[in-house]
Amino acid sequence: MKGKISLSTEFLGKKTKSPLVLPAGIMGMTWSGMRYVIENGCGIITSKSLTLESRSGHPGPVVAEFAGGLLNCMGLCNPGIIDGLAEINDFKKLMPEIPVIASVFATTAEDFAELSRYVNDSKSDFLELNLSCPNVMDEFGLPLAGSKEQVTDIVKLVKKVSKIPVIAKLSPNVTNLSEIAVTAEAAGADALCMINTLGPGMLVDIDLVKPVLSNRTGGVSGVCVKPIALRAVYESYSRVTIPIIGTGGIASGSDAVEMLMSGASLVGVGSAVYAGGIEVFNIINQGIAEYLKKHNYTNIGQIPRLEKLHEQA
Amino acid sequence: MSRRNTIAIARIVEETPTIRTFYFDYDLQAKPGQFIMLTDLANGEKPFSISECESDQFGVTIKKLGKFTSNLFEKQAGDLLSFRGAYGSSFSLKGNNILLTGGGYATPPLYYLCKELLRKGAQVTVVNGARTRDDLVFCERFENLGLEYKKITDAGCFGRAGTSVDIARELLSNNDYDMVYVSGPELMMKAMRELLQSYPGLNYEFLFERYMKCAIGICGNCTMDPLGIRLCVEGPVLAGHQVEKLTEFGEYHRNAAGKKEYFK
Ligand SMILES: Cc1cc2nc3c(=O)[nH]c(=O)nc-3n(C[C@H](O)[C@H](O)[C@H](O)COP(=O)(O)OP(=O)(O)OC[C@H]3O[C@@H](n4cnc5c(N)ncnc54)[C@H](O)[C@@H]3O)c2cc1C
Ligand SMILES: Cc1cc2nc3c(=O)[nH]c(=O)nc-3n(C[C@H](O)[C@H](O)[C@H](O)COP(=O)(O)O)c2cc1C
Ligand code: FES
Repeated sequence: MKGKISLSTEFLGKKTKSPLVLPAGIMGMTWSGMRYVIENGCGIITSKSLTLESRSGHPGPVVAEFAGGLLNCMGLCNPGIIDGLAEINDFKKLMPEIPVIASVFATTAEDFAELSRYVNDSKSDFLELNLSCPNVMDEFGLPLAGSKEQVTDIVKLVKKVSKIPVIAKLSPNVTNLSEIAVTAEAAGADALCMINTLGPGMLVDIDLVKPVLSNRTGGVSGVCVKPIALRAVYESYSRVTIPIIGTGGIASGSDAVEMLMSGASLVGVGSAVYAGGIEVFNIINQGIAEYLKKHNYTNIGQIPRLEKLHEQA
Repeated sequence: MSRRNTIAIARIVEETPTIRTFYFDYDLQAKPGQFIMLTDLANGEKPFSISECESDQFGVTIKKLGKFTSNLFEKQAGDLLSFRGAYGSSFSLKGNNILLTGGGYATPPLYYLCKELLRKGAQVTVVNGARTRDDLVFCERFENLGLEYKKITDAGCFGRAGTSVDIARELLSNNDYDMVYVSGPELMMKAMRELLQSYPGLNYEFLFERYMKCAIGICGNCTMDPLGIRLCVEGPVLAGHQVEKLTEFGEYHRNAAGKKEYFK
């Protein structure tokens, strides 16, 4: 007799009804926005990346649509750590059983540690360090996730301070991503999230003869980054033992299964909320369930993983 | 995917010293209540409601407020602007005996709605209010439609001083409307909702404004508490049954950083 199909799983000790994660910067600005996403089938929320002070972000246009996905230069707009955590707390009052990842952004290990002290006093379940925003390079320089030393310093210091598990969000815009993954694990990270947006990239308005985005360039996301995200997760999965939230270009149930098969424990769904609408979470959940049924599996833990890279060698 | 279009301003009509309508020769195929994101790729990008829409042209009617709109008021016919959209929900066009109530620069989208309602044979009454004469627009356009049309300013420029809500109150008590559409400043709409609560069976739709960045439903800046619906996708037009549930309506909105700002 076949068992009932379930998409529920566990991540660092917390239960979730679906492996789908709302990644940082998508709909996670307000408590009600978080609620809306959960009501539409998402399992775990990540907040917008919060900074010590509030930021209005770049002027518009901050997004540009193209056939392969999206280009964005939001510029880390957020209400600041205090107001941002208040939104998380308001959400947790409404839906206490839903795990929330508080994403934070800073440029020094000390500021990351300061942010994590604030997060300690909130209802957040996990802390995510955004080490990889490509949209604020004019202001802050290259993404931190490019440097092993910086990743080590930040993760080590935050791990001393944080009372909740720490996730390092990594950039695909490096030549040694899996090495950075190993570095983050060695420094004490409890999990990884990858990939942040690719690039930066650029689009041009051929009539006004100007870049479309106000900041000239922006991070690339959506369907066109999926192959890169899968490769990044697979290479890192082959070398680390901590769980990975696989994010980038996931838009269907089979995309999500590909991501799980490549080594992800959870799957982020961001830009697909634009292309597929808010229904996309339920559609992806359904697609995963259909895959499970097709192969006579009853839970996502039974989805086979690719053989690890070094095992093949 | 909605395409970005960059085309010349076809003409500019000065409605009042601080309000202008910008026309573009383009078949936008927008529905009444929808908006575009408009930019010159130099001074930001902002949302504006469609005030007129035909197969060969559309218009947006804009109040000069801050940096973006001030720069826009420097533009001439022939200058290039870029827009994307039309985005968002639209008025349902329901009803046979309809009351439209508008305030200030938010009245023009009701003009496009009004023309569509007349096209389908509905009977329409329009109330147009504003703080001063400089904020009262589209009077001639509405008058030319040959319907019952009332205008009023807080300052009493046309005799009586008061708000569009004052007139709507009288019209509602003397008529049997089956639908009400409202577009105006938030506190005016709040007063309208209070008024409409004494007409329990009467359906209505409001056109809202919230700070918009992406306009395609991903950044989450424009969500409305407690539902979490995005004003750029599920709005800007919301039906009465949704409006009744909004706890932030008339209380606060979130600014460009997502920080709450309370209405005064
Ligand atoms: C759905 C919708 C339809 C609108 N339709 C019209 C219209 O038809 N005509 C018109 O004149 N105005 C309309 N607005 C308001 C218009 O977008 C603002 O007046 C404009 O953005 C002001 O920009 P500014 O730089 O000149 O002024 P600022 O000094 O930057 O701002 C003045 C006011 O506009 C608001 N505002 C600024 N940026 C935005 C933004 N990105 N999104 C929403 N509000 C903003 C601010 O909160 C402030 O209250 C609409 C807004 C929305 C959300
Ligand atoms: C509009 C937008 C805003 C984003 N903001 C953030 C952010 O604040 N912090 C962060 O770590 N990632 C941010 N990202 C990256 C996403 O979290 C995600 O890693 C990336 O978009 C790839 O996933 P996707 O293809 O499913 O969108 C943002 C992405 C987009 C499109
Ligand atoms: S403006 Fe970004 S979600 Fe509405």
